[in-house]
Amino acid sequence: MANIKLYTIIFVALGAISTTQFVVESVLPEGLYWFGLVAILALSTMKAFAVAGWYMHLREEPRSITYLAMAGVFCVLALTAGAGYSVV
Amino acid sequence: MSEHLPPKSSVKRWLVTTNHKDIGILYIITSLFFLIFGGILAFMIRVQMWNSGTVILSELGYNQVVTAHGLLMVFWFLSPFAFGLANYLVPLQIGADDLAFPRINAMSYWLYLFSGVILGISFFQGSTLPTGWTLYAPLNLPAFIPSVAELGAFSGILALAVFVASVTLGSVNFLTTMYRMRADGLRMRDVPLFSISILLTVWMMLFAFTALLAAILLLSFDHIFAGSAGSGFFGSSEGGSLLWTHLFWFFGHPEVYIVFFPALGAMAEIVQTFSGRRLVGRKWFIIAMALVAIQSFIVWMHHMFLTSINLPIKTVMMVTTIGISLPFDLMIFALIYTMIKGRVRWKTPFLFVLGAILLFILGGITGVFLGAIVLDYSFRGTYWVVAHFHYVMASGAVALIGGIYYWYPKITGKMYNEFLGKVHFAAAFVGFNLLYFPMFVVWETPRRWFHYEAGFTIWHQAASVGAFVFGASFLIMFYNLVASLYSDRVVDESPWAYTGSAEWSVSSPPPEGNFPGKPSFATGKLNFLDGAATDGGEADAKTDGGVATAADAIEQEADHTSWWPVILCTTGLITAVGISGLEESYFIWPFVFAIPFYIAFVGLRGASKDGFGVVHGLYLLLAGPLLAAFLLLFNLHHGIEAGFGQANTYFWVTLVGIISGVGALVGMGFESFFAPEPELAEQWPFEGVDNTKLGMWVFLSSDIVLFGAFIGSYIFMRLRAGWQDWWHIAHENGLAEHAVLPGLINTYILLASSFTVVLALAYAKRGDKLKTLAFLSATFVGGCLFLVNKGIEWVEYYFHFGWVFDSGPASVTYYLTTGLHAVHVVIGMLILLFLIARASRGAYWSEGETAHTVEYFGLYWHFVDIVWLFLFPLFYIL
Repeated sequence: MANIKLYTIIFVALGAISTTQFVVESVLPEGLYWFGLVAILALSTMKAFAVAGWYMHLREEPRSITYLAMAGVFCVLALTAGAGYSVV
Repeated sequence: MSEHLPPKSSVKRWLVTTNHKDIGILYIITSLFFLIFGGILAFMIRVQMWNSGTVILSELGYNQVVTAHGLLMVFWFLSPFAFGLANYLVPLQIGADDLAFPRINAMSYWLYLFSGVILGISFFQGSTLPTGWTLYAPLNLPAFIPSVAELGAFSGILALAVFVASVTLGSVNFLTTMYRMRADGLRMRDVPLFSISILLTVWMMLFAFTALLAAILLLSFDHIFAGSAGSGFFGSSEGGSLLWTHLFWFFGHPEVYIVFFPALGAMAEIVQTFSGRRLVGRKWFIIAMALVAIQSFIVWMHHMFLTSINLPIKTVMMVTTIGISLPFDLMIFALIYTMIKGRVRWKTPFLFVLGAILLFILGGITGVFLGAIVLDYSFRGTYWVVAHFHYVMASGAVALIGGIYYWYPKITGKMYNEFLGKVHFAAAFVGFNLLYFPMFVVWETPRRWFHYEAGFTIWHQAASVGAFVFGASFLIMFYNLVASLYSDRVVDESPWAYTGSAEWSVSSPPPEGNFPGKPSFATGKLNFLDGAATDGGEADAKTDGGVATAADAIEQEADHTSWWPVILCTTGLITAVGISGLEESYFIWPFVFAIPFYIAFVGLRGASKDGFGVVHGLYLLLAGPLLAAFLLLFNLHHGIEAGFGQANTYFWVTLVGIISGVGALVGMGFESFFAPEPELAEQWPFEGVDNTKLGMWVFLSSDIVLFGAFIGSYIFMRLRAGWQDWWHIAHENGLAEHAVLPGLINTYILLASSFTVVLALAYAKRGDKLKTLAFLSATFVGGCLFLVNKGIEWVEYYFHFGWVFDSGPASVTYYLTTGLHAVHVVIGMLILLFLIARASRGAYWSEGETAHTVEYFGLYWHFVDIVWLFLFPLFYIL
């Protein structure tokens, strides 16, 4: 049952982080918007790593699978950063 | 269960085959048909350009011809032509029996063919796309397309969407095959250069075409929902037009290399063979190709120097563009130096490759001019660009023609006529340069327009003569290739004195199973292991790679036939044609009506395949009331009688297409099709990951780019509008309230469904049928709750607040991105219905092995969850 316990703990943690994001948005003053933005996106990234690592079992797969997924992320970051920067 | 392949003389064979060599031949023949199609359009352009203002075509007609010529040559000829060769040769070169997913390979072909058919049909719907092959916004929007052309223009867009689907399936298939099915001992670095070039090409295709798909889906929205009056997505005041150029060229520049790389691979193979020596600097040649493949994704804005992007980013892109030319220099020098060091034999394939190198050098040098910001200001939109990219892209075609001559004896077992081959080369080379070189001279001619200065006339007339010489040269090729089929010039394994790859060690054409035994490079040379055990003898193979040791064909266990790919893709064709003319108010209904049919088909087919069970009964009982409920909703929206009475023909075509499509999908899902994974194979760097799991991860990687392009578009528009002003603008545009709570609730729901699906996998591995079924069902319920919550939110925004699709950049990005996500949830739920039906009758819980299917589905579902984890902050919190 070890796996199921671990899956349950991760699920609870994911729910808690989501609630934290909601709370951060609710309580953070307007002046700290950018700090909140970074914090909230960092929490989302953390959740994504948890789902990918444990629920999708990336931790147990060869590292090359992670690189494969990261190749897609690299393209997204290149497009978004390039396009976004081009108009600011 | 499928059956053995019918003979090649049977039409049925070509409809049902999933064998990679057959599919390769189908690709090559079909792409040559599209070459003729695009070539005829090119002749029309050159006739129109004979004198300034010559009119054999109207202005709209000229725009259509220019657009369709570009699209056909780039999408439907060049890449598929290369992939015909790749389909045929890659499994042979790497020592595999077939591609990893043979039925998906067949689907790739049929989707490719039918996408071209859709483009052809668009000509008969008033007008095809008149936008230029780049489909620049706002010219690609309904408001800027003549009303007579709207139907056909949308068909052209759908044709591209279907083509991208074909490419994505092909990319997943090739990547899985090349990483998982190489013969024992065949290290990646030792894979023949043509196959290496294909590997890098499919990597680029996987990501670049997905960016195009994102652009096409967004553009489709503009055509379906924005109508002729609305601004839609790419008409948005927040940089909609600029965003199109970003998305298009993020695809478009890698596309240049996607087209050219297979030609480069063919060049390397041919230069090696006809110089009689290994490529000089082979390792560096490969590294250079890999560098170009990566760099190709960071140069795209050199196509946008004349847009409103800022100077710093232009400068960065100029530097990366100049940088990308350096690896090409290395590759060209490697080819030239190999010739110098070797003893050249001047056969037809070599002549074409030498010609292609010369043309590519000219194309490359003239491209450097366009990569410089200041020069590009003058050259952009002129015939300099036309001449440059034809020298690049058509030189790739010239090299691939060399490839056809080179591998023709392998594919057919007959030798072409050498004299006619050389005549073809001479005519093609002279015609090519007569056609395109004058365009450099009269570069000031405006692109995509048939009026020019009177002094340019003689040059344009020379180009037109060149076009006909170039075109006529292909008649020689067609005659040669067809006549040689009936000649007595029979070839055995290899007609060439020096060949370096495994395809030359088997008979011509190769046997159905490719090899006379299990290929192995473990000793450093090619051996056939199974055959050696029965035969023991050694026979010289005309390769430098080793010796073939047996001639007995191994028994074929894999399946090679299936009707479902062609049937499924035919329904896709019907559906796409229907969608092209669907009215906005009817758009959703054919898809809604198809759901109960899908459920009924799963119930019926599942019962007949796995035995009748309670779940099948439930499905059959559910389908009728569900259809009735949807009809009731339709009645509320349109009125049954008026709604169906006033529906146009396209509605009924879509309905027939989609309902038969879900039937075919279910049929294919339940078909037993055996495509074995090799027991002994080189699988670095994906050892221990089976083919289907790797295929799923490759697909998900491309899906990351699809969602990423949507999210990136949102970020682009928001940055342009002012990041923190975004929701204020939305409120001004009608969004009365921006609630965060629905997003949080849906986050909880999706996380819970991820939890239940991973529990289903855990219990499936333990053999607990009841809990597997329960948690799969719970996941389905989670999907339902998510959609209901999302639906309530949409209804609130859309109907109560009046914040419609077209209300502004915030609304259009919100609805489209969350809509794409919702579609993924719906697809997941439909797959779940299939899994639940199968699980209820004994699938997926026998000590781990068959639980893999639940795992593969879980990967998809978790990915959809992860996407939401980013949509939640971006569209709700921030």
